[in-house]
Amino acid sequence: MRITFPHIGNAYIAIKAMLDPLGVDYVVPPKCNKRTLSLATKYSPEGVCIPFKLNLGNMIEAVELGADHIMNVTGHGTCRMGYYFKVQEQILRDMGYDVTMMLTGLSEHKLKGFLNLLRSVSNNAPWSKIISSFAFGIAKMTALDDMEILANNMRAFEIHKGTITPLYRKSLQAIDDASDYHSLKAVVREYGEEMSGVEVIPDYKPLKILVVGEIYVVLDPFANMDVEMELGKLGVVTNRSLYLSRWVKKGLFFNPLGIDQWRDVHKAAMPYLKRDIGGDGWETVGEKVISTGHYDGMVHLAPFTCMPEGTAQCIMPSTKEDLPVLAIYCDEQTSKAGMITRLEAFTDMIAMKKAGCLSQ
Amino acid sequence: MQKKVFLGIDVGSVTTKCALMSEDIELIAHRYIPTSGKPIIQIQKLMREISSEIPSDCEIGGAGTTGSARYLAGEIIGADVIKNEITAHAVAATHFYPDVRTILEIGGQDSKIIIIRDAVVTDFGMNTVCAAGTGSFLDHQALRLGISINEFASEAMKSKNPVRIAGRCTVFAESDMIHKQQMGHSTPDILYGLCQALVRNYINNVGLGKSIEKPIIFQGGVAFNQAIVRAFEEELATEIMVPEHHEVMGAIGAAIIAMENYNATGKKTHFNGFSISDISYETSTFTCNGCPNQCEIAQLKLGEKVLARWGGRCEKWEYISNISESPEGAVVTG
Repeated sequence: MRITFPHIGNAYIAIKAMLDPLGVDYVVPPKCNKRTLSLATKYSPEGVCIPFKLNLGNMIEAVELGADHIMNVTGHGTCRMGYYFKVQEQILRDMGYDVTMMLTGLSEHKLKGFLNLLRSVSNNAPWSKIISSFAFGIAKMTALDDMEILANNMRAFEIHKGTITPLYRKSLQAIDDASDYHSLKAVVREYGEEMSGVEVIPDYKPLKILVVGEIYVVLDPFANMDVEMELGKLGVVTNRSLYLSRWVKKGLFFNPLGIDQWRDVHKAAMPYLKRDIGGDGWETVGEKVISTGHYDGMVHLAPFTCMPEGTAQCIMPSTKEDLPVLAIYCDEQTSKAGMITRLEAFTDMIAMKKAGCLSQ
Repeated sequence: MQKKVFLGIDVGSVTTKCALMSEDIELIAHRYIPTSGKPIIQIQKLMREISSEIPSDCEIGGAGTTGSARYLAGEIIGADVIKNEITAHAVAATHFYPDVRTILEIGGQDSKIIIIRDAVVTDFGMNTVCAAGTGSFLDHQALRLGISINEFASEAMKSKNPVRIAGRCTVFAESDMIHKQQMGHSTPDILYGLCQALVRNYINNVGLGKSIEKPIIFQGGVAFNQAIVRAFEEELATEIMVPEHHEVMGAIGAAIIAMENYNATGKKTHFNGFSISDISYETSTFTCNGCPNQCEIAQLKLGEKVLARWGGRCEKWEYISNISESPEGAVVTG
């Protein structure tokens, strides 16, 4: 039994940290690349969204490396993503791959379900070991997010363009290599200091843009064509509403306890949208309302054909809160050049709005 | 002291444009030629032509580039500013029409709408997943019907009862046009029907959710087509203004931005001079094997010197100062 799991952003580093101490035989699919995308589009239904396609591509590439069991989480939310595994399983079977899906429904089984899943892939390792490796994985996830937040904050300020991104990439590797809490803490401190210590443009006042939208395309730089890095290169500080560690903590801890971490955001969305419409559509609308005044603009990422985000996009122009929003659809057809033109025009536009005139 | 003039170059997918502006923001000269898939050669051609138009008491004070090949063009001419098309068009439009509120722009491969309030861009849209209704499609249809693009407009204007064409997608539009033609509808009625379909598609796609208010100006190469102008006026039930130099507005905008940059910084221009017309640049691509993504990197070389590289997902090749001269372990393909 060789386990694999599809990618979402850098989550694989945290999942590795959970599986390693349990002695699981697993294979990480190659990071999303052009071949993944080609395989994905070849075998996926055409109108399905990019998260489905890339995940299927990951699975195919992992199966080629000998994986026969695929770990994944499902859900019974309003978005169709929670049911994708069934179609993916069928496609893989039609391709002649004999795979077994190892799933847990996050909506119904929550934390317990996830721990049970870890237990089943680890051939019934003792609970103490399961819980400690799960906790270490979550610690790595938090460290990954800390590094990403710092990089997206610092990139706009660097004097020597292209300093932060290689440092950030090295920090990911170092987090991956860290084998215990002590070394993980050291890595976070070391790279934190190094990134904070790069030479910055004095008195620079960057634009601040919030990145929102569907979780997969927000978290995955391949799917969103490195939108935050590109904005950073344009001298913009980015932040986002969704980070993997926060989302996991919500799904596994807070939701079961009845705590709505996004209560403020949902409340803010109420005048325009009164319920969850699946995916992250409700949050997207709320973030626009709540971020007006705190950010200069918002980039809304949505997979092409995504119903919840499409609905959110139609609602947003009618809010009385007037935050400029740039919608970017992520799909295998999207060209990066087109996206960069839009990002440049968008940042020019909000800079001009701030200055009150066309000349900069 | 010599007077300054400012150069703007707009290299689009289908046409390459160039504008020379005086210090008083008057258009001295302009050119409009096809890109023909050879941007570098066409930029050099433009530079050769425009150099003779510079008044003897003037020198280049700054240069700007825009359009989809703005980075390539900027590298070649030594631009002081490289700007996206939306900002360039908005700058030019607000210069000639300070009270403009809506800019419609249709070029060879893309179409945009820019909403302006109090001389500031407040919203914009670009065609996303569909190129229906751009200049290339009109060219293609004219060619198919065996008429020139100039005759297209005059023919379409003769229409009495335009037919309804499905304009949602160029593929459907073309098959619908052929269907109507085989049914025996007249060419002018089909052509004007196509114009109406393109305008409808533009308003419903690019213009979706945008408040299109007067004064409206229409820029870009497609504004040459009087039939499209009329279809816009009918659809929006208002007058549309077409600037005299609508086809080079992007280049004018780039020149104005270069001038504003010069006025703000006072820095000497990076402009490489007109001698670049006689230099032979070399472009090539190679595949980077640094990670599984296998990015195709395009590079621009002058002799042995690498001027620029584009196309990577990471910063490995992008910053020339960061890298060694030869792409080690990379497969050079051309």
